Amino acid sequence: MSQYEKVTPELIQALQAAVPGRVSVDGDINDDFSHDEMPIYGKAMPEVVVEAVSTEEVAAVMKLCNEHHVPVTPRGAGTGLTGGAVPVCGGVVLSIAKMNKILSYDTDNMVVRVQAGVLLNDLAEDAAKKGFLYPPDPGEKFATLGGNVSTNAGGMRAVKYGTTRDYVRAMTVVLPTGEIVNMGASVSKTSSGYSLLNLMIGSEGTLGIITELTLKLIPAPKAVISLVALYENLEDCIATVPKMMRANLHPQALEFMEREIVRLSESYLGKSTFPQTFEGSDVNAYLLITFDGDSEEQLDEMIEQASEVLLEAGALDILVADTPQLKKDAWAARSTFLEAIEANTKLLDESDVVVPVNEIAHYVNFINEIAKDYDFEVKSFGHAGDGNLHIYNCSNDMDPEEFKRQVAAFMKRAYGKATELGGLISGEHGIGRGKMEYLAEMVGPVNMRLMEGIKHTFDPNMILNPGKVCYTL
Amino acid sequence: MEILVCLKQVPDDSVEIHLKPGTEEVNLDGVTPVVNAFDTYALEMATRLKEAVGGSITAITVGPEKARDAVKTCLAVGANQGYVISDPTFEDADTLGRSKILAAAIRKLEADAGKPFDLIFCGREATDRASGQLGPQLAEALGTGVIVDLVDIEQTDAGICAKQETEEGYRKVESALPCVVTVNKPAYDPRYPTIKSKMAARKMAIPVLSAADLDSVEPGKPTAHVVKVFEPAKRQAGVKINEETAAESAIKAVDMMAAAKLL
Repeated sequence: MSQYEKVTPELIQALQAAVPGRVSVDGDINDDFSHDEMPIYGKAMPEVVVEAVSTEEVAAVMKLCNEHHVPVTPRGAGTGLTGGAVPVCGGVVLSIAKMNKILSYDTDNMVVRVQAGVLLNDLAEDAAKKGFLYPPDPGEKFATLGGNVSTNAGGMRAVKYGTTRDYVRAMTVVLPTGEIVNMGASVSKTSSGYSLLNLMIGSEGTLGIITELTLKLIPAPKAVISLVALYENLEDCIATVPKMMRANLHPQALEFMEREIVRLSESYLGKSTFPQTFEGSDVNAYLLITFDGDSEEQLDEMIEQASEVLLEAGALDILVADTPQLKKDAWAARSTFLEAIEANTKLLDESDVVVPVNEIAHYVNFINEIAKDYDFEVKSFGHAGDGNLHIYNCSNDMDPEEFKRQVAAFMKRAYGKATELGGLISGEHGIGRGKMEYLAEMVGPVNMRLMEGIKHTFDPNMILNPGKVCYTL
Repeated sequence: MEILVCLKQVPDDSVEIHLKPGTEEVNLDGVTPVVNAFDTYALEMATRLKEAVGGSITAITVGPEKARDAVKTCLAVGANQGYVISDPTFEDADTLGRSKILAAAIRKLEADAGKPFDLIFCGREATDRASGQLGPQLAEALGTGVIVDLVDIEQTDAGICAKQETEEGYRKVESALPCVVTVNKPAYDPRYPTIKSKMAARKMAIPVLSAADLDSVEPGKPTAHVVKVFEPAKRQAGVKINEETAAESAIKAVDMMAAAKLL
């Protein structure tokens, strides 16, 4: 870390001149800036926090810090899960949370231009009022769109609509040197050189700071309906997924849930939503499915077809969430999994591997089996439609160091198996600080060399978000 | 047991609703019509009772023909048959008028079936107008007893025993049958339809009864008049207390409440 300079009084003065009234130093900095939502990867306080409100301010800060060799860690809403927004080398945290304006809609080209600090929830609600849907739907609705783009966040609707990457048309980026560049355009095709736009997406704030985004919208579906399929075991539940796809049914979301996590979330919400038994059989796994379409009649046909596939595949029964209240209840139970886990857990780590959909049951059973070798509890759930699983290691009574040691051993096996099955180590949360060694192991030295080379090209002084993704300190 | 559940189709109460700017007209564009939440609780309670003691449930609503969708929803979660009572002359009816229409419809259905309803369920109020008067007015029109604000019910030798929620707690009330009951939120939630029950409900006929089908119904002119429709005033933002420590914040909060003479 010695390659970086400390923040000097002169630099603070220059930052205050560039971003008047929005520079905090030392004792004035809120502890929140030292971590994201996964503090297990370590906390670190910045020396300075700057809250920018414009691209020009971001550029001025980057230029100053680049000249002074002071590290800068960009930050949105701090909802990440891999320690990506933690200023591990101190220096400046550059928050774009105040850049939260929805700038304009172009309804003919169906795009919206936003500042990168706009929250996903705010855009989703605003677009809905105008009859549009912004399809990416990560579980954390209060993340910034800049953060979503930086991790290529996915979410529940990815199975039909794809991930954040598929909705980014253009962006304004401030490079670590302070240069401002525009990438992409409001067009649907491009064959115009290397796609720097796509390189920025998923770069986790290591290549540049995204300040503005042009995002694609689609017309909001007119009708939505959800099904809850009940299964006696996880194998039958997961085996349904490829059958649904082959039947040309295109659910908007397709989530699997095991019994234990459903009970945990229901007890957290104080509301029992899903049946635990069906005609004498225990229900051990659930598939939560949403379809969207142009009319209720169309959806009725769709769910009738889907039900044939589900029952054929071994579902005990199928519940229909066809009213706003029932839909809300069904999805509330699913959406609060992470919150329910966090509320009940002192020590928490997680992984978000992605495996081929036909390997999900095999993989989850493997995870449940190896979990027996450790002192922590393992809770998992995930997006059955795209093979993306969230696996949580939870303990309330382990020694923190012992917890970390055991989790590291567990993760090595879990990631090893995912790779062996043809999967990847992160589907949507990113690498950040917490998953670097696993990435290096999985992709190998040549891929790592290419990534490091790209990092050097964008950031010659290596000041932007050091110690993340591919740049080991 | 022959059970009747009265229901009302209302705008989805989980979305924020506003007036059309500069008017007293409620803007319901894009708001999904749903079955009144308290009526869904009533139907669930009725269905559990039916499952325990046997019998049949009839769902009924007074409203436009499109209120059929509301009845259809109920047919998938416990109701065995359903009717819509619809007539242009009923459009202006207030709660008292609706109770008279419902009473006439109930007499008609009882005459057709050759047997009376034992128990008539209503929600405690509708989430749109929230007058909370329909149940008692219907009991008056039918000449039966009424128990309001139920959260549980069971059959007894004498008729029913109901658990009634009051401001102080709960009260057990017994009644002979027939009887009208209004239902508050019970400890359980309404069930989900299953794919089979939903598909079966889709195929069921839902007859529409008009004024001509009922025997001399006279809803009368509305007795209540709306003086003004307006949106509630926006609440002022609260005071944020964020001192160095939680203890200091607590002290400041207490000081502020003392200064405002709230303690």
